[in-house]
Amino acid sequence: MEHLKTVLKKQYIFIILLIFWAISMLISPFFRTVSTFSEIFIVAVPIVLIGFDLSVGSVASLSACLASVLLQHNQFLAIIIILTVGVVIGLINGIGVAKFKINPFIMTLGMMFIIDGVSSIIRPSPGGIIPDSLKNILLYRIGDFALTPFLIIIVTGLFGTYLLKKRALGRQIYAVGGDPKSAKMSGINVDKIKIIIFVLSSVFSAIAGIFIACRISSGNASAGASYLFDSFIVVFMGGTLVSGGVGEFSGTIAAALIIASLVNIIQFINISSWYHYIIKGVILVMVSGIQIYFLNKRRKLNE
Amino acid sequence: MNKEKLQQFCRNNLQVLVIFGGLLVVMAIGGIITPKFLAVNHIIDILYLNSILGILAIAQTLVILIGGIDMSLGSTYWLVIMLGAQFMKGEFLWGPMLICFLIGITIGFINGYCIAKLKIPFVVMTLAMMVIITGVLYVTTGGGGGGKSAEPLTQFSIQRILPIGDFRGIPVRMLIWILFTIGFSLILNHTTFGWKMRALGSNIKAGRFSGINIERVQIVTYTLSGFLAVSAGLLYLGQARTPYPIFQSGAGVGASITLNTIAAVVLGGTFFSGGNGGVGRTFLAVVFLSILYSVLNMIGLHEEWQVIFNGLIILLIVGSYSKMRSKT
Repeated sequence: MEHLKTVLKKQYIFIILLIFWAISMLISPFFRTVSTFSEIFIVAVPIVLIGFDLSVGSVASLSACLASVLLQHNQFLAIIIILTVGVVIGLINGIGVAKFKINPFIMTLGMMFIIDGVSSIIRPSPGGIIPDSLKNILLYRIGDFALTPFLIIIVTGLFGTYLLKKRALGRQIYAVGGDPKSAKMSGINVDKIKIIIFVLSSVFSAIAGIFIACRISSGNASAGASYLFDSFIVVFMGGTLVSGGVGEFSGTIAAALIIASLVNIIQFINISSWYHYIIKGVILVMVSGIQIYFLNKRRKLNE
Repeated sequence: MNKEKLQQFCRNNLQVLVIFGGLLVVMAIGGIITPKFLAVNHIIDILYLNSILGILAIAQTLVILIGGIDMSLGSTYWLVIMLGAQFMKGEFLWGPMLICFLIGITIGFINGYCIAKLKIPFVVMTLAMMVIITGVLYVTTGGGGGGKSAEPLTQFSIQRILPIGDFRGIPVRMLIWILFTIGFSLILNHTTFGWKMRALGSNIKAGRFSGINIERVQIVTYTLSGFLAVSAGLLYLGQARTPYPIFQSGAGVGASITLNTIAAVVLGGTFFSGGNGGVGRTFLAVVFLSILYSVLNMIGLHEEWQVIFNGLIILLIVGSYSKMRSKT
């Protein structure tokens, strides 16, 4: 019984996801089809890949723009260039935060400005060509079932969980997130960890950008912008604490699926798609409010 | 002795001196490209166009001064413009204006309440507010574009006073920007509330121990930010008469102007002052940015380049400051 309780407590986000899907199926017959579920996985891929960093949306946009310009020439080289750009941006963010002690919020905000500007110079209006061969790989379907998006989510989830739980690096990330000072005292190279986190975040965003470009079949200077906000909600909803140091990758993935389903349901019940902005905003405030409430309660208990 | 004092002064006002230097350089470049650039009327025109940014930047300064940030500033501004035009329909003035002020103040109050009482992180709260307002704006007006500003409001916001000979006069809108700057500067320096805001900015814990009602200061500041967003919105509406519909691009409506206000505040030096910055410095920063953008436009570097410059300015200033601070 105790064990069941802890499982429930830890995996509550998956239970919410299942309840959410069940209700949706009752409301809308469309929701029961495989293609809808596939659509959800396709929408969720960019959300899963993007982490907590204000420049992520812009990196995804930039990568989508680069993809639409470069992919038609040489696919292999294009992907290498895009990933390199992702690494470089992450390095700049990381070095700024770790070595120059710039507040991460301001650092990534400044990067957001610069990258957005570069994206609109590369692609002033939406367009460009994404070769079918790459689209066929990234959006590969068997019948109605979108195989690659599904696999990407599973692999990302396993990779993230493995990295955070089984590797020393993962433990160190938790330590730095929880309390940088004690982490430093215990001999962790805090600067190095910070730089690695920013590089990872930026590279994942660049991959997400390639995926977005395939999905919308073009490049667009604001293609990734809305994912910034989605990633915020998802990370909080998935149980990663605002203050850092606590968080589960699996929770993040379940939350991403919930948000992707939400967008889908709003389309089905036939109300203006602008409502999802309102709903997402309210959800974010509620989720972080509830989290902070419990956090404070726990703190008081500890005292 | 005197030399030491001078050095002390320079050190304390380094940022202001740097902006002044930058302003002179940029104006010189503008003057070399076209001598007409330096004509008083032209400079006044540039400042007239940017007085909206100036008023919004005052709001951002207040919020940043108490250690927060308001990402929903630009969206509140656009919401008021679009709803105001729809309510006014070219004839009604006072009713719609009152409604607009109520909306803006309510938005600011909700921000402040959730941040102060529910302890939601300010970035999360105001970003969520930005997205909610974006949704509301499109659901209620479909992106705006309808309606028309009331004639008295239009007359008021494009009015110029004291024209002498060739000089076309000082725009009322610019005057309001200057008045707001002076007013808030007085409040920050000479009232108890202003001192409380500064105390909060320099050290939130010390502020609490010294008996300041932090929550109230936070709520009032965010509410003031909403009030200023409405003022700026109405002044813009007057000039635009019928606003163009806006197409949502980026993270939410008004994100770009919000980012411009943050650039101005960071440039002005309020971000690191620990309660020492102020609206006067931001005023200077907005003047510098307006002239800079105008010169950039002249040499053919348009909006996207201005965005890049904003980012570079923020990173350079913050980077050098943070490096200096970590050394001492």
